[in-house]
Amino acid sequence: MNLEEITLKINGAVRSAPMPSAIRLVDALRRLGYTGTKEGCGEGECGACTVLLDGRPVNSCLLFAKQVQGKEIVTVEGVGRGHPDGMHPFQKALVAAGGVQCGFCTPGVVVTGAHLCDTRPQASVQEIKEALAGNLCRCTGYAKIVEAVQVAVAELGKQS
Amino acid sequence: MGETLRNIGTRARRVDALEKVTGRARYVDDLELVGMLHLKALTSAHAHAELLSIDTRAAESMPGVFAVVTGKDVPGENQIGVQIADQPLLASGKVRQMSDRIALVAADTAEHAEAAVRAIKVEYRPLPVITHTDEALAPGAVKIHENGNVMTKKQVIRGDVEQGFAAAAAIVEDVYEVNYQEHAYLEPNGCIAIPEPDGGVTIHASAQAPFYIQKAVARVLGVDYARVRVIQATTGGGFGGKEDYPSEPSACAAVLAMRTGRPVKFVYDRAQDLAWSTKRHRMKVTNKIGADGEGRITAAQVRIDCDAGGYTGLSAIVSERSNSTAFGPYRTPTARVDTYVVYTNNLFGGAYRGFGTPQTTFAMEAQMDELAARLGLSPAEIRRRNILGPGDETTTCQKLTESVPGIETFEAALARSGYEQKRREFEAFNQTSRWLKKGIGIGACMYGGGLHAGGQFLEGSGALVHLRPDGSVLVSIGGTELGQGAFTVAAQCAAETLGVALEHVRVTPSSTDFVTDSGPTVASRTTVMSGNAVIDAARQLKGRILEAACELYGVPADEIELREGQVLKRDGTRLGSLKELANTAFAVKKVNLSAQGWYAPPRKTWDNARGNGDAYSSYCFAMQVAEVEVDLRSGRTRVVRVTAAHDVGQVINRTLIEGQIEGGVVQGVGYALMEDLKLDQGRCLNPSFTDYLIPTTLDVPEVDIVLIEQPHSAGPFGAKGIGEPSLIPAAAAVANAVSEAVGYRFRRLPLTPERVLMSLEEAGKLR
Ligand code: FES
Ligand code: FES
Repeated sequence: MNLEEITLKINGAVRSAPMPSAIRLVDALRRLGYTGTKEGCGEGECGACTVLLDGRPVNSCLLFAKQVQGKEIVTVEGVGRGHPDGMHPFQKALVAAGGVQCGFCTPGVVVTGAHLCDTRPQASVQEIKEALAGNLCRCTGYAKIVEAVQVAVAELGKQS
Repeated sequence: MGETLRNIGTRARRVDALEKVTGRARYVDDLELVGMLHLKALTSAHAHAELLSIDTRAAESMPGVFAVVTGKDVPGENQIGVQIADQPLLASGKVRQMSDRIALVAADTAEHAEAAVRAIKVEYRPLPVITHTDEALAPGAVKIHENGNVMTKKQVIRGDVEQGFAAAAAIVEDVYEVNYQEHAYLEPNGCIAIPEPDGGVTIHASAQAPFYIQKAVARVLGVDYARVRVIQATTGGGFGGKEDYPSEPSACAAVLAMRTGRPVKFVYDRAQDLAWSTKRHRMKVTNKIGADGEGRITAAQVRIDCDAGGYTGLSAIVSERSNSTAFGPYRTPTARVDTYVVYTNNLFGGAYRGFGTPQTTFAMEAQMDELAARLGLSPAEIRRRNILGPGDETTTCQKLTESVPGIETFEAALARSGYEQKRREFEAFNQTSRWLKKGIGIGACMYGGGLHAGGQFLEGSGALVHLRPDGSVLVSIGGTELGQGAFTVAAQCAAETLGVALEHVRVTPSSTDFVTDSGPTVASRTTVMSGNAVIDAARQLKGRILEAACELYGVPADEIELREGQVLKRDGTRLGSLKELANTAFAVKKVNLSAQGWYAPPRKTWDNARGNGDAYSSYCFAMQVAEVEVDLRSGRTRVVRVTAAHDVGQVINRTLIEGQIEGGVVQGVGYALMEDLKLDQGRCLNPSFTDYLIPTTLDVPEVDIVLIEQPHSAGPFGAKGIGEPSLIPAAAAVANAVSEAVGYRFRRLPLTPERVLMSLEEAGKLR
């Protein structure tokens, strides 16, 4: 196996390690200790591996780590940076609403949901659902996740 | 109870919410250990074949490979069958389903293990593949196991069903067939086995039933239970799929850990998980019911053909639930059930939320609608006339005594949904709407909480509660946390009983080292079983510290109350803090501040030959009304709303209950409309989320919840289970709504757009 030094910018820090040159981003993140990012399907269907890449949600199971060197990556561990208690209002809202059960979809839901709150606070319920349609959750039936987005948007509105 | 409850009936935050929402929660694949090896399995190339030879020589010398094992290398018994010893861990002589394991490889990397698996050569002599229970039961069918293709037969006999039918004014009889459902928990199966210096092994697993794993691993290794420690890792969903199945990967990893002396990780990818793990059973249900002119059921008869796949697994007990509760929440003065559990070479059937009842519920609820139509009654009215009440007997001749709010729950669902009025509105709408059709349907269920009488040897449940000298509390339960909130409920029960604030209660990961065998976390039993066990332990501790308090404060023990970490007199005067009391009890009075709790429901009697007796300790009702829109151009169904009325005894945590119901309904909607595993010659053709679709945010209805609280004395604070009843009636309600919308009775699930269009086309309904 060909090892190659892979350098990634993750949650504002630069991390690197020798890794197989064809390593997927999800695996590279997990090897570097960012195990919050989960693999639920490995083929871009479930969203458990969602991270932000230069501010846009992507499925990290569909990307090679090599391709994204130099880009800004935000994982679930970094979503709360700069917020009180290190938690994004969407994370807090998700806890309060009860939008977390087994938690395996949660890192992806948090990344997608927080990004949605930050970028599209005017989103309608239908638009919220569309934005989250790539994040499968088998436990919650989604109602409390959608509710958490609405609560967090309201909270962010108050803060600004 | 008299006292006000502080921690019960609340919306207390989940004890594991923060770790999950921040990504800190540790699932099994997040664990890395020094020297750890990766396991990969070679599974069968045929669904039914004789195994002629396995050649692992090339694989053994591949780079990074530490061990390659086949059936002959299993140190203990090469057997994994939990109910009947019909399933080898590693194939020997024959393969009976595609997921049969031929060989296992442990290597330094997953890639090396994968490469070695590909280098194993296997010779088979293919046998005819049996793909349907009808084929398996046909005379002359090839035998999958030596003793034939009927694994077991069960029945319920109540009165004289022929007489019952003779007294009927209308009879409906039809065949219903339902396909598999995949659990699709978001975290695939996974485990790590760590060899221990003392000759034992520790397993970390994503699992519902650590005690099953303990027994399975002890069996394949030939070691004592006491040497097998199973710790539940944070588990990314189960829904029954992680009841029995995780014993298989755990036993594989344990065999290789012992063989190599290294920790061994075995984590499935999604395709493997879909292809190898158990499923909700395919069933063929032939249901015949008769009613008198008033719509009162006089006789009910059903034949259930349950497709078990190649091995027994849990099929014999899954089908016992189908068998015992095939007629839902209705009075059946005479009844006959015949349940055949049949081997095929299809996918392996197992436990799945509802455990053999969503299938029979789909059939029964459709039949109730058919019977109503035959008698000129509304679907609501016929149900109203037949729902079991206090004092009535179930099909198995069990008298219902306590907390039986069937009719209350039913009426609540109707009223909240506006059923009657909407039904009229939809009928009028459909008169004028050519392509879009609206329908409303009912699904009704009565669910037996806990294990069936036949499984009651597993029913006791334990808990361990420690009061620490600083007044904090540590709880371990024999149940497991799958996302449903079991740890939060356990913490609430401890907090309530000991008068300690919830944030000072910690629940440990479940481990077989802490608590006695408490059975599996299934059957909607964990709130009741573990909850009661925690309360038992906490009460013992409370008694001991109140005694200490009595001496310390000079106040009689029955005058003292513990509340939110404070020690108070009944009149509210503060005596001190729990912290100071705990510390004095521990340091000065040498009180034992650890208590073992235990709960087991009273013994149930059961006559297997007649299928009569106390099938379950208690029952709860679930009544759902679904509203749908069917587009006749696309065949697509949209479920607009599901009104879900549930009899829950007593709410412990409102948010958790809602979460169970919302999630359960959506799984039921998926079962009704979209989830469709496709098989060819026993091989799963769509083992991926690309091709096996589960509901997304865009597929889910609004779920409107009504909770009926009629406490049951056997439940913790009166609570009943909710995990499965949330799902069971949903598919039936949706299917009834679709049938009503389009004026055609569907007798198969799922109602995919293709099935809807094809059925209507065939029936000449699209012209
Ligand atoms: S793991 Fe990447 S989308 Fe499922
Ligand atoms: S919380 Fe379990 S998959 Fe979403």
